[in-house]
Amino acid sequence: MTMLQKFKDIAVRSPWIYRINAGSCNGCDVEMATTALIPRYDVERLGCQYCGSPRHADIVLISGPLTRHVVDAARRVFDEIPDPKVTVAVGVCPISGGIFRESYAVLAPIDDYFPIDVNVPGCPPRPQAIIEGIAQAIQVWRQRL
Amino acid sequence: MNFLSLFVRNLLHGPYTDPFPFAPAPTAARFRGKVAFDPETCEACRKCERACPTGAIRFERTPEGMTFDCWHDTCVFCGNCVFHCPTGAIEQTGDWHLAHLQAEKYRQVEHGLIPAIVCSSCGGKGLDSAPAIAKIKPPLSPDEAKELRSLCPKCRAKFLKQRRQSA
Repeated sequence: MTMLQKFKDIAVRSPWIYRINAGSCNGCDVEMATTALIPRYDVERLGCQYCGSPRHADIVLISGPLTRHVVDAARRVFDEIPDPKVTVAVGVCPISGGIFRESYAVLAPIDDYFPIDVNVPGCPPRPQAIIEGIAQAIQVWRQRL
Repeated sequence: MNFLSLFVRNLLHGPYTDPFPFAPAPTAARFRGKVAFDPETCEACRKCERACPTGAIRFERTPEGMTFDCWHDTCVFCGNCVFHCPTGAIEQTGDWHLAHLQAEKYRQVEHGLIPAIVCSSCGGKGLDSAPAIAKIKPPLSPDEAKELRSLCPKCRAKFLKQRRQSA
């Protein structure tokens, strides 16, 4: 039990991040890449790292209004991420639909399909806002682990 | 030589990383952030509701008056409402701290109320909205503007017509 607790304490310091693009216009994806790659913002200071495989991920960032076309693929990728996971909706599109609200082609809001924990509104949100959202997600993950 | 000057400059400057989560982040003076609404200066013309591309702004008539609601979770911060507002009652603040937990999703709202009044002239229903006086010539005195504010829309039109004829 103590060994397990020790592992948990170590794991909580370095969540790995995975991005799902659920039909985004790429604006939020660029901001998310900026948050990670540009030294000015550098989300890796919080111990986070982007990973290429959903099976390694702890925190999921979803962008885009969840178009009808992408919902199955997004669901499949989301199910591959091991529990416990924390889901962050980035941009107004997944949160409410934003500019695409009430369109026949999108299924937003995304919380009807995925369990969302943290919302980061903005069109797109600035990198600091995304860092703020990830910081809140880390708090949620700490409780969940 | 060039390398050396760069080296010295970077050494003196320190890290370029923004210390944001541990210190406040720089924000541009004209940053388009959260919408703020002032019911005192609002004309209740509802142009912002029409101009809003996402339907974030919604006016509603209630017994207490006209309510204004802007849901930040669907606002795209385009600034159309600010551009079309004739009185500057709606403006964008530099506040971008909008990340929140899912439980607070439907509380991210800017709410305002333009109270209902009883017309001081005819006793009918009116709104305590700012009168549309920007283009009226000669300009209204503060007392006249105050009187105009206490009237219903029909009495406002009558007041202005009388004023025009007497001038």
